[in-house]
Amino acid sequence: MTMTAVTEEIKTEKAAANGPSGKTLWLLAPGVLWMLLFLVLPLAMMLYVSFWTQTTFKIEPTLTLKSWITFFTSDTYLGALWTTVRIWLIVLAATVVVGYPAALFVGLFVKNKTLQTVLLVLCVIPFWTSFLIRVLAWRPMLGKEGAINMILMKIGIISQPIEVLLFSELSVIIGMTQIYCVFMVGPIAFMLGRIDPSIIEAAKDLGAGFWRIFRTIILPLSMPGVVVGAIFVSVMVLGEFATSAALSGRKVNLLGNIIVTQVGSLKWAFAAVAGVVLTILMGAVVAALLRVVDLRKEL
Amino acid sequence: MNASGIKFGLGVYTTLFLVFLYGPLVVLAILSFQTGPEGGPQFPIIEWSTYWYKHLFGLTPPSRIAPLPIDQGLGRSMLLAMMTMVVSTILGVTAAQAFRRKFTGSGVVFYLIVLGMMVPGVLVGLGMALVANTLGIERHWWGTAFVLHVVYTFPFAFLVMLAIFNRFDSSVEEASWSLGVSPARTFRKVTFPLIFPGVLSAMLFAFTLSYDEFSRTLFASGRDLTLPLAIYGTFSVEVHPNVFAFGVLTTLFSFALLSVYAVLMGLSVRRAKRIAVQEEA
Repeated sequence: MTMTAVTEEIKTEKAAANGPSGKTLWLLAPGVLWMLLFLVLPLAMMLYVSFWTQTTFKIEPTLTLKSWITFFTSDTYLGALWTTVRIWLIVLAATVVVGYPAALFVGLFVKNKTLQTVLLVLCVIPFWTSFLIRVLAWRPMLGKEGAINMILMKIGIISQPIEVLLFSELSVIIGMTQIYCVFMVGPIAFMLGRIDPSIIEAAKDLGAGFWRIFRTIILPLSMPGVVVGAIFVSVMVLGEFATSAALSGRKVNLLGNIIVTQVGSLKWAFAAVAGVVLTILMGAVVAALLRVVDLRKEL
Repeated sequence: MNASGIKFGLGVYTTLFLVFLYGPLVVLAILSFQTGPEGGPQFPIIEWSTYWYKHLFGLTPPSRIAPLPIDQGLGRSMLLAMMTMVVSTILGVTAAQAFRRKFTGSGVVFYLIVLGMMVPGVLVGLGMALVANTLGIERHWWGTAFVLHVVYTFPFAFLVMLAIFNRFDSSVEEASWSLGVSPARTFRKVTFPLIFPGVLSAMLFAFTLSYDEFSRTLFASGRDLTLPLAIYGTFSVEVHPNVFAFGVLTTLFSFALLSVYAVLMGLSVRRAKRIAVQEEA
């Protein structure tokens, strides 16, 4: 009996090596089915509907390119596409510039493990406040009578409040940078923490200065972290619409905002076109970032 | 070029960085104690008061500022987060359990699941609304929005459980099987207690992500508002300190949740230690 049990087990192991065995299949089925029905199907539907005919109040399943042509000939939509790309690039650069030095300090210069953990936890705590509240929190900071203007006027740096701080592209960029830069700090600090200290010691012993060590050792070894952070930030910024809705006073229209307004006025086909364009943009960005660094090799 | 100078400079920078992260939240918390109803969402504080907190709970005399529509939204969001938590944790555990064996096509399945946390809410939300419209399904927070919440949180649960199973010693399970214990009982008595910390983390992820989620809910939830949607509604109108007071309260709620998690985690670690000590004795 034991023998048969053993041979049976060997059999199942062999089957497992070839394809999902019966048990594995049953374990996987619910999750995979859920994703196919509620993730892949909706995205496919979006692509399909983008070719439907849009009339004033409804859509009809007659295939046409009209919505696509409207999108690529309209200044509003192309403007939104350009704004999305611009804001994404600026915020991405800002999160790297703002986040890298902090990650450098936490990941490389803090040797005490407890302090390191405390600093990382401090970076994560703001996430326990609702995302929308964190966005709204910038209003009393940046407004004409906001905290920043008040402080600057008290110190005497400015005599008139800076009005461009709120309800402008700048406020959207500031808000997004603050909200998303932690996604940059985390992966970079993680990669920096894995650098073998003896490499840096060796470079020091050979007489390399800090900048040289930074350029030739630290920066290249932290690149996978930057890429992972960039993927996080890119995907989130490209799909944004709430920050621009709250902080730009409708002056900044991202593709996400276009989708929201089009759905609001029941222009489903246009919304779908904007959605497909956004998906393609995002896919291209992630694919390009994965090209830069082979993550499977690095992690 | 001295390293300690650089370290000092970076330390100062990191402090400023933390000020940047926390500044807006601190300002928001201070302004939530502005006097009402005439005090606006800006400095100076005219008089310290808890007016806006009372305003949230409808304890103030009616004024021109409408109360936040949170009473029903709160219940819906809680229930939705609970449902999402249960379903995505179960899906996460089962899927990760399947990944303990190597099988062909595991790469595709892995990316399919992880895609759920990568695709922006506005896209799946739009897609779901289109599917619902075409099939003639009514959109509700407990239906179309709920399934999207799970699409979002299930990958987190899955990744957490995958990490747990990676460090899991399967010989204890095999020992249990070889002693003739049924697989179901083995899972309940041996596997589950060992993976419990992971399950707890997966639940925490799922609950908090769902509780705060709104871009998926926006298109997929129909008429009834969840809590984040009620907040989103205030974006287009003038903001009053009652939203700030609400922000402070939700943050406190999150911290309460986090402490429950920490206590349960501590208990499970202590129990594991006690068992280890018993085994040694």
